Amino acid sequence: MSNFFEIKNTTFRISDSDKVRNVSFSIEQEGDIVCLLGPSGIGKTTILRSIAGLEKISEGQITLKGKTLSSKDTHIDPEHRKIALSFQENSLFPHYTVEKNINLSARDNDRGNININEIIKILNLENILNHYPHQISAGEAQRASLARSLNSNPDLLLLDEPLSNVDQSFKEEIQVKLKQILKKLKITTIIVTHDSYEAFYLGDKCGVILDKELKQFDDPYNVYHFPNSEKVVKFLNRGVLIPAKVTSPKSLENDDLGVITGNFVNPVPIGTNVKLLLQPEDLQHDDKSNLKFDVIDKKFRGTSFIYTLKTNTNNLLPVFVHSHHVHQHDINDKFGIRKPIHIEHIVCF
Amino acid sequence: MRINTWFISSFLISIVVVIPILTVFSSFFEDTSNYFEILRETFFLEYIFNSLFLLFGVLILTFFLGVGSAYIVSFYEFPGANFFKWALILSFAVPPYIYAYSLFAFFENYGTAFTILKFLFGDGNYNQHIPKFSGMLGLILSVSFSLYAYVYILARSSFLYQSQNLIELGKNLGFSKFKCFYSIILPAARPAIIAGLSLVAMETLAEFGAVDFFSVNTLTTGIYNAWIAFDDLAFANRISFFLLLFIFILFLTENLSRKKAKYHLDSKGGFKKKEKNKLGGSKAFFAFSFCFALFFLSFLFPLSQMLYWTIKFPENLFDLNIIDLLINTLYLVSLSSLVLIIFALISNYGNRVSKKKILNVMSTLSISGYAIPGVILAIAFITFVAWFDENIIKALGFLSIKKVFIGSVLGLVIVYFIRFYSLAFNGIKSGYEKMNISVDESAYLLGYSKTKTFLNIHVPYLRNSLLFVIILVSLEIVRELPITLILRPFNFETFATTAYISASEDLLEAAAVPSLCLIIIASFFILLTSKYILREGNE
Repeated sequence: MSNFFEIKNTTFRISDSDKVRNVSFSIEQEGDIVCLLGPSGIGKTTILRSIAGLEKISEGQITLKGKTLSSKDTHIDPEHRKIALSFQENSLFPHYTVEKNINLSARDNDRGNININEIIKILNLENILNHYPHQISAGEAQRASLARSLNSNPDLLLLDEPLSNVDQSFKEEIQVKLKQILKKLKITTIIVTHDSYEAFYLGDKCGVILDKELKQFDDPYNVYHFPNSEKVVKFLNRGVLIPAKVTSPKSLENDDLGVITGNFVNPVPIGTNVKLLLQPEDLQHDDKSNLKFDVIDKKFRGTSFIYTLKTNTNNLLPVFVHSHHVHQHDINDKFGIRKPIHIEHIVCF
Repeated sequence: MRINTWFISSFLISIVVVIPILTVFSSFFEDTSNYFEILRETFFLEYIFNSLFLLFGVLILTFFLGVGSAYIVSFYEFPGANFFKWALILSFAVPPYIYAYSLFAFFENYGTAFTILKFLFGDGNYNQHIPKFSGMLGLILSVSFSLYAYVYILARSSFLYQSQNLIELGKNLGFSKFKCFYSIILPAARPAIIAGLSLVAMETLAEFGAVDFFSVNTLTTGIYNAWIAFDDLAFANRISFFLLLFIFILFLTENLSRKKAKYHLDSKGGFKKKEKNKLGGSKAFFAFSFCFALFFLSFLFPLSQMLYWTIKFPENLFDLNIIDLLINTLYLVSLSSLVLIIFALISNYGNRVSKKKILNVMSTLSISGYAIPGVILAIAFITFVAWFDENIIKALGFLSIKKVFIGSVLGLVIVYFIRFYSLAFNGIKSGYEKMNISVDESAYLLGYSKTKTFLNIHVPYLRNSLLFVIILVSLEIVRELPITLILRPFNFETFATTAYISASEDLLEAAAVPSLCLIIIASFFILLTSKYILREGNE
């Protein structure tokens, strides 16, 4: 059975000299959500624009429901694709009210099972329906644009940083509601974001775009726990890479931390020098431990603290501690690490 | 390969408008008559000198009148300030040639000034004390009072949109009001003022009616004579080219002198309405007097002169078939505006959707039609039609098409189209520039085709801009003289041509009625547009 949506070996042109090369990924089932993660300016928006048909591609193929939308020789115009794109910036029609904007679609007789009133309610747009775009905030405009896209009952919905302008306090609520709507209406969606938490929450699959290529495309859990390259690790900023030597099929050794046990995600020959990914939750605090390092930084993250420790060989280690933990440390204090150290999934490069 | 109809339409429209410009250039490859030799040995230097003298005289006067009045009404509150805000643009309703008739008639021997003095003080030898405004001085005054509003409108809009922070910063640094104006406000408004002055310069060098009335020999007269007296179109075009080149060099020099200076900051805060300074006492009196004097001299004076004559010689009112003139004028106005709007709209949309560089170049070239004097355009059009008829139509064995285009409403509309295309194109373009391209893209993604996007999204959005352009173009056509004069069908007169013909036959009193009608219609159009021209705030 063919995939619902597929991009095959496609090159996306950001500018004359800049391209995202050889991108391939697919969405197997209708209603799945894919999130594309990457830093600003990497070409995520270009990928969405090309899928929508606003840009042409020079290599590769994009198919939806088995039909080729774009290839070297084919380009179906955006108005004939049944793909909706919600832009990051305000793209509402300035001379129409929010209500008219939302109801404006050339595909009036193809609304499917969309209940626009419910969408308006969920997205909290009831009070601004009679306003003009210049009278509403950027976050409201973004939500109105989202409602308009949903209302067009697309085969594929593309969202470009959909919540970038939404207030932090409201963001999580909207994320939950957005996911509910998309899943309820079974709208296949590709979301572009630079917020890894948003991507991990919303996406059934996540793609990480770095260095003008799709570095990893996998389940959010795997992207988080099993990053497939040092670049993905650095981009997700979830841990540090420290030198270690593989000592057995289930252990390795680091000069500062000693023996570390666990299960290798990918088998590595014994005796190989590797870079071990150490994430903040891999190490545990223990005041009674003999293994102590100096605290050089402490970040309060609400539910947790992240301590940065400096080892004898000048490596920096992040350690995650719940904020209700009774014993708090200050900078320059000694901080104990529980031994033996066990990491469930050992990722090394 | 798919045919891009929007690109092709846009390209063809630009081609039509570019033809006269190419014709002007092509004159360098053609032989000229011995008129050039005659002219060079006789009046050519005088033509150039007069043109330059007129140009600089008008530029200096319009700068002071336009910037001064714009500054006063933008920054100060005084009795009548709100009235003068729009009243000062009414001078647009009085074309330089009608101003010239009024000025001359008021101050001539036994003219209106004499009549007033006689009425007030009885018989006397007043003629020798009344100043005479004829020749170059009269011409400079007529053109300046008629055109200063270009500078006024653009300077005022720039003053209004200047950053309040910048002005407050000046105050904070302890600048005096004069220093604030000289060091902050004026430099920041420089591009707008230059834009206004460039329009004034183009109109001045293109001026025909007033120049002809005061018998001042300028390059425009040279062009007209080359065509009328010597039938030397190539030479007429060649002089036009130098006129264009001169305007271009003037403004290129100004542009280069700016170097990399930037005159505004990209502000995200939007428009912040400035607090106006409330004037009292003698300062309020001075501000009021300055604005009133300007309003009186530029509008009330010519209006009253024409009104006075109309009342004094009512027979002229009945001799004239006003209804016919009105119908003719409105016929030309509505037909031309419609054609201009439709084609400028298509061309703008074609530019927007096809994103081809060649279209951009063509559009830039085509909008320079506004810099070409009407006389030149009319002559270039006749040249082109004659050439086309001779070399293509007749060669193919068809009947001559000269009569279809020359001395016909069709020809007139085509040349109006070329002359005012820049106004329509830029008016619509400025509306389009406010519309983000993602609006188009959103429409496509909602299933709208390009044509549907154009009709259902763009046209409603541009409604106000279109209305503004229609009225602006109508105003220009009502005032237009040389093109109408040269290309109008036999026995087809407008208010402008009737006034000109009467004046050129030394029947100034008879010119009053058509002039008065023209002023009234033009004022009506101005009042309709004033809402757009003078808008304030974040609209």
